[in-house]
Amino acid sequence: MIPFVLAGLAVLLAWVAPGLMARRKGFRRAPRAALVAWQAVSVGGILAALAAAPATIPLLLDGEDPMGRLQLVVPALVASTVIVGRLLYAGHHVGTRLRRVRDDHRQLVDIVARHEERVRILQHPTPTAYCIPGRQSRVVLSQGVLDALPEEQLEAVIAHEDAHLRGRHDLLLEFFSVVTEAVPGPLRSPEALGEVRLLVEVLADRAAVRRSGELATARALLTLAGSREPEAALGVGTTAPVRLRLLADGPPHPALSLLAYSYAALAATLPLVLLAMAWA
Amino acid sequence: MPHSTSAPRLGDLERVVMEHLWEAAGVGDTLFEGATVREVHLRFEGEREIAYTTVMTVLDRLAKKDLVTRERDGRAWRYFPADTREALTAQTMLRTLDDMEVTDRRTALLHFLDGATTDELADIKAALAEIEARAEGEQATSARRKSIRRR
Repeated sequence: MIPFVLAGLAVLLAWVAPGLMARRKGFRRAPRAALVAWQAVSVGGILAALAAAPATIPLLLDGEDPMGRLQLVVPALVASTVIVGRLLYAGHHVGTRLRRVRDDHRQLVDIVARHEERVRILQHPTPTAYCIPGRQSRVVLSQGVLDALPEEQLEAVIAHEDAHLRGRHDLLLEFFSVVTEAVPGPLRSPEALGEVRLLVEVLADRAAVRRSGELATARALLTLAGSREPEAALGVGTTAPVRLRLLADGPPHPALSLLAYSYAALAATLPLVLLAMAWA
Repeated sequence: MPHSTSAPRLGDLERVVMEHLWEAAGVGDTLFEGATVREVHLRFEGEREIAYTTVMTVLDRLAKKDLVTRERDGRAWRYFPADTREALTAQTMLRTLDDMEVTDRRTALLHFLDGATTDELADIKAALAEIEARAEGEQATSARRKSIRRR
């Protein structure tokens, strides 16, 4: 019985939960807790899928018809092996690709950009600001953004990028990229990666607000949003309106974080509890 | 890993050598005829302790990255910057914006913001107006508190 419950739980956490969670937009006001919840659901889904196989073993040990039970045990083992294999493969694939892109870009930036104490400056009129994560991380600004933003807003932008680097938001994005890529196309739920992308921006915005205040952060967002062509052709909306709305709405009710953390704890531990029950 | 100690130094030298080549190519009206390893090495003599072979390695790495081109000149190579610094900067910017597949790029480099549509700009401005109004409100309150205290 329990192996089926675990398989059902895996389906629930991997395909049903992301869609439902992406619709509860209120949790964006508690970005840190929401990120923990998203991670817990992903990890929980993987654990449930993997635990289904070991949960069948007790059936084999005390079953009256061991050969008949094999029909259950073998498919479960195969499924778990395939999942582990796909995750490892995707992890390797995504990891190498990201590292190569970042390394190439960092080397190029180091050569063409002006070196300053905390940042690299690209001599270019288009306003832009970004960071290159990794062991040798960089914050990169263009001359255009230096010209467009007063100091307080510039500090907000740098604090935002520093928050990405210090918080290792790249690892979060990498994890969700791996999970997304490991799931076969038709079963994929793209909501997770999209929402996590937004949440790390909201979290970094909080750091910018702590440094320069809401007003400077909001103004910097507006200036930069207005200075670039949208990527409409690629079908990706920008995060700017949502982020500004969240800045305008202010901090959340503390109960919201508590709710998200409890949900996270449940999603991550339930598969293990079920596995323990199977063996008990 | 041995390269983790030497790579930053080589990276630094790559920049210095590129800067030298850009400078040399930009001086005077005559066509830049390239620089040999020996010439680059001479340029840094007394300024930096760089071995001749290191200059060779650095130029070789730059050639592999397509940042310099080279032409045979007898038994030596003459090195040229593949692009002006401005062109390479523009290329770097473009690469952050367009070149990579979009999902990859958005995971590889974290941008402060992507461009917004006109509709989105309207939403942004509305939210900003709210924040501004609240900031003004807070300022007014604190000013009032101050004036009360003064009395």
